[in-house]
Amino acid sequence: MVDHKKVDLTISSDGMNLVTPLMTASGTFGYGDEYKGIIDYSLIGGIVTKSLSLLPRPGNPPPRICETSCGGAINSIGLANPGVDEFMEKKLAILPTSETKVYLSIVGEAVEEFVRLTEKLEVVETISGYELNLSCPNVKRGGLDLGADSQAVAAIVKAVRETTDRFFSVKLTPNQPDIGRLAESAAHAGADALTLVNTLIGMSIDTEKRKPRLGSITGGYSGPPIKPVALANVYKAAQIVDIPIWASGGIVSGKDGIDFLLAGATTLQLGTVLFVDPQAPERILAEMTDYCVRHGIESIGDLIGALDTSIV
Amino acid sequence: MNINAQSEIGTVVSNERGAKDIWEMELIAPKIASDTLPGQFVHIRCNPGFNPLLRRPMSIGPVVKDKFSLIYAVHGEGTRLLTEKKTGDKIDLIGPLGNSFTKPDQDVTAIYVAGGIGVVPLLSCYDLQADPDNAHFILGARSMMYMPISEKDVIQRNVMISTDDGSIGHHGNVIQLLEQIVGDIKSKYIKVYGCGPTPMMSALKKYCVEHSISAELSLEVPMGCAVGACQSCAVRRADGNGYYLVCRDGPVFPIEEVVI
Repeated sequence: MVDHKKVDLTISSDGMNLVTPLMTASGTFGYGDEYKGIIDYSLIGGIVTKSLSLLPRPGNPPPRICETSCGGAINSIGLANPGVDEFMEKKLAILPTSETKVYLSIVGEAVEEFVRLTEKLEVVETISGYELNLSCPNVKRGGLDLGADSQAVAAIVKAVRETTDRFFSVKLTPNQPDIGRLAESAAHAGADALTLVNTLIGMSIDTEKRKPRLGSITGGYSGPPIKPVALANVYKAAQIVDIPIWASGGIVSGKDGIDFLLAGATTLQLGTVLFVDPQAPERILAEMTDYCVRHGIESIGDLIGALDTSIV
Repeated sequence: MNINAQSEIGTVVSNERGAKDIWEMELIAPKIASDTLPGQFVHIRCNPGFNPLLRRPMSIGPVVKDKFSLIYAVHGEGTRLLTEKKTGDKIDLIGPLGNSFTKPDQDVTAIYVAGGIGVVPLLSCYDLQADPDNAHFILGARSMMYMPISEKDVIQRNVMISTDDGSIGHHGNVIQLLEQIVGDIKSKYIKVYGCGPTPMMSALKKYCVEHSISAELSLEVPMGCAVGACQSCAVRRADGNGYYLVCRDGPVFPIEEVVI
């Protein structure tokens, strides 16, 4: 077990108080009840739900997931979700009500859809805020199309900011040439945090059958191989913006978590790793605690942005 | 939400090659064993590292006290790593997952139709639910070399075999055997339980629909979390309303409810 007494694992920044820096990445944790009995929720600071859209989305044709030979996975779920109305009718009751904070991921094809979603969800009292998904690689309209355009990002963020006083993060894509510009646009328009990064665009082929291994041919690449890309995006963005960064991309160990904190992240989202090792939250916190003890760090928050670049 | 699913570290009792590229692993996992219904599966971590990354869903074979068997085909790095497990090794499991086969009513003749390692969930289904005097078990394989179960298992359940090359049993496919059995049956009510490769399941569905025979199929698709969170394991609903998830809504489906 993690000895919380040894190291302060809580994260406190403007509008965000989490019991640990660990969060779940959107799309990997459903609406919060699927892993009950398997994952110890008390170790998770915040849950980000599967993305909700205004209308129900059936999702993409299967197969929707495949593995890569280098230890990654590619998925193409296509934002399958019941839509905001059914969610509010049937799923609200299952959201965890413990100390773990819940952030609803929302996705839309246009500014108005984000605004309508936020308006509808404002009455939900059990949540701590939102994550705007501006970066899904698996839908034809919306998502990535909007998310790689800094003006579109700014317009959505500004409109949502005018709709809600709640905390919200903006999830950006690594499939762009300049994360700094996007990050700056989102922060300037009023985002409270940035989530970096969504999946990379990837593809896998069944060579023997000469067929793509996903129904939608390309998908979102995740898992340990994308960590260096995510880390670079977090580092670059952290040089430019002052708001918290929720890191996401290939975190499977305490070392990964520490690396992202050093690069400037405030929280660490676990995604694909949960499919492989549902005990990862406990293990990662234990490994990070060990690191802090070895380095005389009393509060894990002290590591945020503490990268020493002078020795390079 | 899988009410009974849990993480459990199982212990390998034995792990042996039973046929060409087909292995059988016996495991002690008391918590999972005590809760399992026929047709349910475990999500198994093939190696402690992260490459290969994803777990593998595998049907739970017959349970004996705190033990059960898995029969797996070796067709990639994950399953190859599983073959290296020795007696006493630990193995990381999540289960039991998914739904189960329904029990046939008393006056119904049950026919179990398996393809290759798809035989695994049907073994416990037959053992726990069938009336041996009113049940038939058909197993198809590529050839004798690929027979996934032992002679003892075959005799015990009076299994009829078909092989593609005729090296053992009927030279042909399981549908031909099924036709023979259905033709001979006097019983008015028949229920088919199927599990096997997708082309076989498609053929089975076609046959059952054409002959108005009620059937349940267990499906296998690529899977991520296996608890309904990631929505990777989608199968198209026959009613046109999107998709079911094989891990949460299945793996067993009434044949008329899914497109295969």
